[in-house]
Amino acid sequence: MARVSLVWLERPGLEGLAPELVARAAGVALDRGGLVEAVVVTAPEAAAPPALKRRLLGLPVAWLDLALEVGGGDDALRLARAAAAVARAAGRAALATLPPVYAPQPALNVLVAGAGLAALAAAYEAAALGHPVLLATPLAAAHTPGQDDDPEEVSLLAAQLPASVTLAPQTELTELTGAAGAFRARLAGPQGAATQTFGAVVLAPAGQWSVSCEVDGLDPALTRPVWQLQAQEISGPPDGWLYAAVLAGTARPLTADSFSRALRAALALAQRPRLQVALLFSEARVASEGGERLFRECRQAGVLAMRVAPGELTVREGGRLLAWPDPLLGEDLELAPDLIVLADQAAAPRPAFLDNRLLWPSWPALLPDNPRFSGGRSSRTGLYILGALRGTAPGAARREEAADAAADLHERLTGKLVPMPVVRDKICARCLTCVRTCPHGVPRHIVDSIQCAPAGCVACGVCAAECPAQAIAPPGWSNPEMFAGLERALALAAQPRLVLFACANSAMPAVGELSAGGHVWPAGLVMQPVVCAGRVGMHLIMKALELGARGVLVAGCHDGNCRSVSGNLRARLRTEQASQTLGELGLDPESVQFLHLASNQPRALAQAVDQMAAGALEG
Amino acid sequence: MEISSSLSDTPQSTPVLILGGGVAGLAAAVDLSRRGLSCVLAEREPVLGGRARDFCCKAVAACARCGACRLADLLAEASVRPQITIYTSALATTAQPRDRGWQVELAPAGPAQPAAAGPGAPLPGRLSLAAQAVILAVGQQPFDPAQKSSLGYGRVPGVISALELEARLALGAWENEPPPAKLAFIQCVGSRDQALGRLWCSRVCCGYALRLARLLKAGRPEMDIAFFHMDVQDYGRAWEEELAELRQELRFLRAMPGEVALGATGPEVVFALADGAQRREAFDLVVLSQGLGPPAGAAALAQMFGLARIVDGFLGQPQAPVAAGAPGVYVAGACRGPRSLAESIDHAGLAAAAAAAHVAQEAGRG
Repeated sequence: MARVSLVWLERPGLEGLAPELVARAAGVALDRGGLVEAVVVTAPEAAAPPALKRRLLGLPVAWLDLALEVGGGDDALRLARAAAAVARAAGRAALATLPPVYAPQPALNVLVAGAGLAALAAAYEAAALGHPVLLATPLAAAHTPGQDDDPEEVSLLAAQLPASVTLAPQTELTELTGAAGAFRARLAGPQGAATQTFGAVVLAPAGQWSVSCEVDGLDPALTRPVWQLQAQEISGPPDGWLYAAVLAGTARPLTADSFSRALRAALALAQRPRLQVALLFSEARVASEGGERLFRECRQAGVLAMRVAPGELTVREGGRLLAWPDPLLGEDLELAPDLIVLADQAAAPRPAFLDNRLLWPSWPALLPDNPRFSGGRSSRTGLYILGALRGTAPGAARREEAADAAADLHERLTGKLVPMPVVRDKICARCLTCVRTCPHGVPRHIVDSIQCAPAGCVACGVCAAECPAQAIAPPGWSNPEMFAGLERALALAAQPRLVLFACANSAMPAVGELSAGGHVWPAGLVMQPVVCAGRVGMHLIMKALELGARGVLVAGCHDGNCRSVSGNLRARLRTEQASQTLGELGLDPESVQFLHLASNQPRALAQAVDQMAAGALEG
Repeated sequence: MEISSSLSDTPQSTPVLILGGGVAGLAAAVDLSRRGLSCVLAEREPVLGGRARDFCCKAVAACARCGACRLADLLAEASVRPQITIYTSALATTAQPRDRGWQVELAPAGPAQPAAAGPGAPLPGRLSLAAQAVILAVGQQPFDPAQKSSLGYGRVPGVISALELEARLALGAWENEPPPAKLAFIQCVGSRDQALGRLWCSRVCCGYALRLARLLKAGRPEMDIAFFHMDVQDYGRAWEEELAELRQELRFLRAMPGEVALGATGPEVVFALADGAQRREAFDLVVLSQGLGPPAGAAALAQMFGLARIVDGFLGQPQAPVAAGAPGVYVAGACRGPRSLAESIDHAGLAAAAAAAHVAQEAGRG
């Protein structure tokens, strides 16, 4: 076991703490510039001076944002809190498993499968960042626009594609496995099928028009979707009027983009001679850029804007007569149009290979409705889902997604900070728990061993929490390391001892805000920051209790907000199980709790910690 | 963190200068560093985060997808990236086009400030910076509801703005005192309003107001909440299912109240529904859902960089998603037009890509 030294960097929030006293209380040596075996630094890595980083190169280092964990209170309390935090970090540093010296290089090339603006933009942006790109499209040509794209914008972009983009027309992606740095893709083209390796994959199939939900039973001879409308070829009869109805979300409201398209169709019709246009809608979805002005322009051009409650439009007389209740008159309004225009929306078919439940999570798990999965990201690292397939509005939003995806994949494939899970092959039972539970699809079972995609891991630690053999963990997050840290910290902590497992995306920013404001934490509280609450499995909870903790609080993100999709729910499940086990043993089930939290809810965290401290005192 | 106390160790030039340290500016900075480019970010206020700091988390049983948590993510990301230099309390005063870019003068905004927690340090003094590209990410100005005086803001007690409600909730409002029994949201305050010359939908107000309503209702199911609106805008991928539930929980009233008057017990909302009859209803609290407008400094910035503004006073050019209208100048986030936090972050990524392409192109010019 390495001897640990404390490197003291003075930081805001550490004022008044004597480094010697903290080091002595924590049972570590204070660094005075000599030889060291392993160190704890009182600052995050980003705040360390380059000279220090050079000096510590190759050593086990625990970067500890100490000020965050100390908080306010009198000198004795702050000293005790600082000592517990340093002891915890020292316990881990003493055992630190350095990342493997040899890690496979991630592949740098990018596969863009699809066509249209989103696909071209992704190819362009990835190539601009130096990645060789294969643009595979099932269509005859890569520059074929999606039906909902602006053809001019697409051909302009196609003309700018650099030579590092290889075009593979009439080529379909039929199978895909892997994660960032090591995808295996089977491509079927005119020259046959072959499997290739890619570092990242972008799925951006071209959009295809469909009518967005409107009423049934309309006379097909009268109806036309917006995409087939040639307004400039329509005019009223010489001796009268032609009546057109534009159905813009009568069964259910449209998206803002579809509504704007319907408005443009109505306006184009209204500007034709002897045409009377009615626009029927349930909600005016004017949130697209210029939508409100367009809506006004329509009405000024003589379009009758008629509101129909969803589902109240009925079709009569063989689909030629529209009727709906009017709230003011108390009776039905009727309209017998000569032309019925239906709002449309583009969608793209989901690739069939994603239906393989053994290899791919369900669609909602792959593309979570989660604010942290924006910019084209999916839950599989290195896989990006763009454009119509994602449901992104045409135009600028697709270019945004492509640019964001390219920057993300570039950093993931070329960055130095991607962790590589350590698999202890000798004790691994090949039970495939890690393969099943990794939210990012990183571990794979290849030729009777577990191998990890080289650029896919985010160190959430779900594998370490779930592996029954304790055979896999991101570097620094193995059970022995975490146990050692908790053991040293809890040995120092005052009674009643409490452990807070704090997710880096929610609880730690809240801790930081509280501590910066001088919040006084209970003397016996040991904080254990984790990348994701999903790192907290049964082993860790039970170890904390075994080491004398009277209360264990696991604080993770709200449901639907986890950067690792469901690491928070997994942690909640484990705390519930631990709590039940305690109850069955006749112990206090309340001593293990889970808290859903966001980074901007520090008060909720403070309350939960205080409550747990009070409960531990009573119990 | 080492705080540079003199100008000797401050950069004199940077590939990209970002004005504004809200979510868009931070996202642009992070995105540039992903692309291997360094940048200088200048924020006018002493703290980073912009408007996003004012929003509370709206999760009830699950995340409400408001995106407010993304600010902490971005601050954490910006703080670990050495390519990003951040100055707070820094104001751009002049900008001159120069060979391959801009010469921008930064000056301390207001009196010297102590360093706030998190990344960045106050601008130590005046700084003249050569930048190859500039990203304007100066955010938006929430509509001041006092300008629509008929709705009683500042005049009738019990009428507050949505931002004030956010702040109260973030501070734990009504935890120790009885909550209002009857509450009304009035939508489109400063949006879709011809009389005010604000002919745009602010995109985000339906989403934030309905999320706030749901948050209030969750803890206090007996609360009576009315939602006065013209149209309910699309506010997320699962909006239709959420709306169906919300219609059971809240009173959706399709009416734009003409007046909020001082009644015997509190504010009274005067409105007419589709049948045309005028109604008057008393509430304990009326929340005005203020819209988003062009940032206060938009005109000055446009003049500084020689930009024409798009029709509603926002920065940028019609038909161009991020080009601002001068060489090497780009816009990111809600200063380009109303955007949610998540949309601003995505938009900033495109602005960063465009700025990076500009820098690369200039470098290629040799």
